[in-house]
Amino acid sequence: MHELGVVIEVIKTVEDFAKKNGVTKIDTLVLQIGELSSMIPKYVEACYPAAVDGTLLQETKLKIEIMPGNAICKNCNKVFNLIENNNRCPRCGSQDREILSGKEFMIKEIIAC
Amino acid sequence: MSTYKVLEIKQSVFENNDRQANLLREELKKNKTFLLNLMSSPGSGKTTTVLRTIEALKDEMRIGILEADIDSVVDADIVAQTGTKVIQLHTGGMCHLDADMTRQGLSGMGTDGLDFVILENVGNLVCPAEFDTGASKNAMILSVPEGDDKPLKYPLMFSIVDVLLINKMDAIGIFNFNLEAVKERVKKINPNIKIIPITATTGEGIDRWADWLRTEVKKWNGK
Ligand SMILES: Nc1nc2c(ncn2[C@@H]2O[C@H](COP(=O)(O)OP(=O)(O)O)[C@@H](O)[C@H]2O)c(=O)[nH]1
Ligand SMILES: [Mg+2]
Ligand SMILES: [Zn+2]
Repeated sequence: MHELGVVIEVIKTVEDFAKKNGVTKIDTLVLQIGELSSMIPKYVEACYPAAVDGTLLQETKLKIEIMPGNAICKNCNKVFNLIENNNRCPRCGSQDREILSGKEFMIKEIIAC
Repeated sequence: MSTYKVLEIKQSVFENNDRQANLLREELKKNKTFLLNLMSSPGSGKTTTVLRTIEALKDEMRIGILEADIDSVVDADIVAQTGTKVIQLHTGGMCHLDADMTRQGLSGMGTDGLDFVILENVGNLVCPAEFDTGASKNAMILSVPEGDDKPLKYPLMFSIVDVLLINKMDAIGIFNFNLEAVKERVKKINPNIKIIPITATTGEGIDRWADWLRTEVKKWNGK
């Protein structure tokens, strides 16, 4: 599965960060996933327990924030959600647009205790 | 009683690996070792192509092979029979290699004196595209039986490779595969890509592939 390899990468990065910052116990890990990213939140959740097994994050809860897939229309400058509007500007119907957000896959923060 | 503290990380997930990959690339450049990352679906002909490539270039340069393909346990054995330095990486069922694992493989093999190393990546068109291995150049094989619509399904992979080999050209009469349509689709995603049709089993087209490699290895190693 595609997500597992990536989640293992996330866990490595967080463990690194924790070590550098003297964190020994993490209550919650917060990720941000864009609607347009190749990562599917429910698959990330599904493989999370396997990825954290035996790591510093074994007991850590996972929270995922979804970032909207927004674009700006190059024709009329309207900002719109790509998924809700089928990739087409709802005001003028143009498909010429620039993506503003939604492709990210970020480790936002950890809540340490 | 425990107090909770929020620590901001704000880091893109691929940043850590990207950093490791750049570091590895710099070291390889210094050591004059050209690393080719070879990717494809399982069964597209990576191992067959690796064998042909060794045959074509072994008298001109010192070659090493990193085998990470998990769909075949015999790959490393077959390659070893050619007398080339080869190491089998154990990816533990992982769907891709990252820069760390590539580094481990390279140091296990020992790259001193090697001009050219081929990494046969895990057979998969999704995950390897997202993980920079630290390679000097990236190559992909698309084989005719897989169909000419693959660039539409896996655009990321086609967008990150420097060269695309279209393998099993001998089978083009059997499968409904439009070579011109593939070229057009791929160039739309990646205008600078080099596309070379080959038949790895007969060696057809391998001369053009070897030419491309020769040029790139020389450029990289500054010879
Ligand atoms: N017809 C044909 N078969 C090929 C060609 N190249 C590889 N094969 C066959 O495809 C199968 C898989 O090849 P292999 O090199 O092991 O693929 P890998 O899994 O990507 O390493 C083998 O049976 C090869 O003999 C080719 O150019 N033409
Ligand atoms: Mg193979
Ligand atoms: Zn508009």
